[in-house]
Amino acid sequence: MVESSKGLIDRLWSTFSSMKLGLALLGIIAFVAGIGTIIPQSEQDPEKAKAVGQLWQTMGFTHLYNTVGFRLLLGFLCINLIVCTIQRLRGIYHRTFNLTPPLSLARVPQKNRMELQGELEPLREAIQEVVKQKGYRFTHIGQTDSWSFIAVKHRLGNWGSLITHLSFVVLVIGALLGSVLGFKGYLMEGAGSTIPIQAIQLSKGAVSETFSVRINSAEDRMLPNGERDNWYTNLSILENGQEVARKTLSVNHPFVYEGITFYQASFSKGAHFSVDMNGQIIPVVLQDQGQSYFQAPGTDLYLVTTIDPSSSAQKPDVLYQVYQGNGADPIQSGKLTSLQTVDVQGKYKLTLDGLVGFSGLQVKKDPGVAVIWLGCAMLIGGLLLAFYWQPVVLSGIFQAENGRQGTLTVGALSGKVTVSTREALEQFVNSVTKLLR
Amino acid sequence: MLESLETAMFYCLVIACTVCMLLYWVRLGSKKEFVGRLATFFTIIAVIVNTVAIILRMVTSGHPPLSNGYEFLLTFCLGIMAVYLYAEFRYKLRSLGAFVMPIPFFLLMFIIMTMGPEERIAQAVPPALKSQWLTFHVVTAMFAYGAFAVSFGLGLMYLLKLSKEDNGYTSSPQGIVSRFPALEVLDALAYKVVGFAFPLLTLCIITGAIWADYAWGTYWSWDPKETWSLITWIIYAGYLHARLMYGWRGKRAAWMAVFGFAAVLFTFFGVNYFLPGLHSYAQ
Repeated sequence: MVESSKGLIDRLWSTFSSMKLGLALLGIIAFVAGIGTIIPQSEQDPEKAKAVGQLWQTMGFTHLYNTVGFRLLLGFLCINLIVCTIQRLRGIYHRTFNLTPPLSLARVPQKNRMELQGELEPLREAIQEVVKQKGYRFTHIGQTDSWSFIAVKHRLGNWGSLITHLSFVVLVIGALLGSVLGFKGYLMEGAGSTIPIQAIQLSKGAVSETFSVRINSAEDRMLPNGERDNWYTNLSILENGQEVARKTLSVNHPFVYEGITFYQASFSKGAHFSVDMNGQIIPVVLQDQGQSYFQAPGTDLYLVTTIDPSSSAQKPDVLYQVYQGNGADPIQSGKLTSLQTVDVQGKYKLTLDGLVGFSGLQVKKDPGVAVIWLGCAMLIGGLLLAFYWQPVVLSGIFQAENGRQGTLTVGALSGKVTVSTREALEQFVNSVTKLLR
Repeated sequence: MLESLETAMFYCLVIACTVCMLLYWVRLGSKKEFVGRLATFFTIIAVIVNTVAIILRMVTSGHPPLSNGYEFLLTFCLGIMAVYLYAEFRYKLRSLGAFVMPIPFFLLMFIIMTMGPEERIAQAVPPALKSQWLTFHVVTAMFAYGAFAVSFGLGLMYLLKLSKEDNGYTSSPQGIVSRFPALEVLDALAYKVVGFAFPLLTLCIITGAIWADYAWGTYWSWDPKETWSLITWIIYAGYLHARLMYGWRGKRAAWMAVFGFAAVLFTFFGVNYFLPGLHSYAQ
């Protein structure tokens, strides 16, 4: 029983340590990801995704990147990368820190070899001088008739590939943290409005924080040349009604409060009204085009408004409509000019105070983002090490033939490009030869 | 005034690019080194006028040349020609020009044939595009795509030389491929160029993710452009792994370099024109 479970673990280890499996998984991930760009995805285009056949929707083709199958693929890739990393760790450590000079000719790299004739002492001095000039780390053993050395440059480049592979695991952990512990939501509020953070429209996760957000101002700012500068929102965080933070944010300049980030996502126009109900004044902010409504307290009257497109841009008028209950047709409608007051069904008086901006804010809590950036840093750092800091290992052994005379055989063991390895070896031998002259 | 000068620079670029491409072809057939030197001269001219055109566009629009497809394509052309010129000088590889320079030529023809003057004028950029991260994103893309174009050219040279040698033309000193470097050198160079471009492509994807996080609050949204850049990345990752671990050198590696650049072109064009998403402003 123990043996069979050991055999299973060995088989699993052997499967997941296979580079072929890793490449196959990458290929499948690329293929599936490509399908997701052709079939509309519900996260990006919900309307088109709904139009896709029900069978395809049920099979997950309209939310491919969130399916269990796709996540399993990513999970298998992570396991593959972890197993490969563990398996290669020892070798990389050895290649970086434990390289020793060759004890026999057979240990000198055979693919790229060159020979130098001469006496040991001048050869040794020339080699020591060249490795110093070229910035190699140098170790040698032996003294008189037998001498060998090893010189290593860019040895940290050995870690590039391992760091790159591990970075994927870090990226997946970051994404997982974000999806398990974070939330994502949206709010669209007019200037002057206050909304509890728990009341925003959520698309993912749940909000545990209890503060409120007040939109102090929302502005669509234009440049003198008529181009849009940016959308600006001045926002306050309120804890128990007290302002604890205030900041102006804009697109590309988010605001972070206690791990929750507010992003300027969109902008809309609206109007600010005063509602007088038996002497009690209620401030009301309504979005343009009837995208928000006001229900007067204790009534079933619903008010929606639209900025009159035919009115002047400097002093725009507002068209209003009042609906009752579930009625499809308005029971009252009309136009309001600035500061004009109308009576609404004898229940309240409505005054147009002026226009206001509506700010659309993406709200996100993602504790995995820092881990994602760490993964990105590891990924790029690993690749830079792997491709721009490739280790070069030169080793050689001197074998005496006639007393002090002998042959120094030098070989180069370098990463990935044999042509560069050959060049490095030739440059090294040329430098030594020049010094010997 | 500056707009007219920029338009003039664009047409100078088209002329210089066409001439250098033709000269590289003539040089390949005639083997006259003077023609080769002339081709290189026109390529340098093309790089200069391309740079001037981009600078003029930046001066007139007041922002980096990233607001529409025309500006992206100009930047792409500059990336290809700059990386090619570096490769030509570094590796003394003039024959490569005959295979790489047609790419910016076709990109410029694409601009002329599909984009009207109204699509080429400088446009206001939406607030989301006003980010320094976008500049890094596009600059890294420019050099990465440029280098992939060069690896594509090297792949083509390898395949052409290999097919001629397979057909028994090895000993012909008159053949077009006789001046190509040895197959081993072409293969190693293609690997080097992909090795240079791959970290840049990665940086391009990462800077794009950072920018998206600042602008939209999401570092990865499986937008078609993002997804296709990931697919391109995976193809080149496959190229590097297969080469290192399974000795996929030579013919198979050359085909992968060609295939990888096809993915680059699809990421650049196909996604912008066929698969709309967050990058649809790039049309």
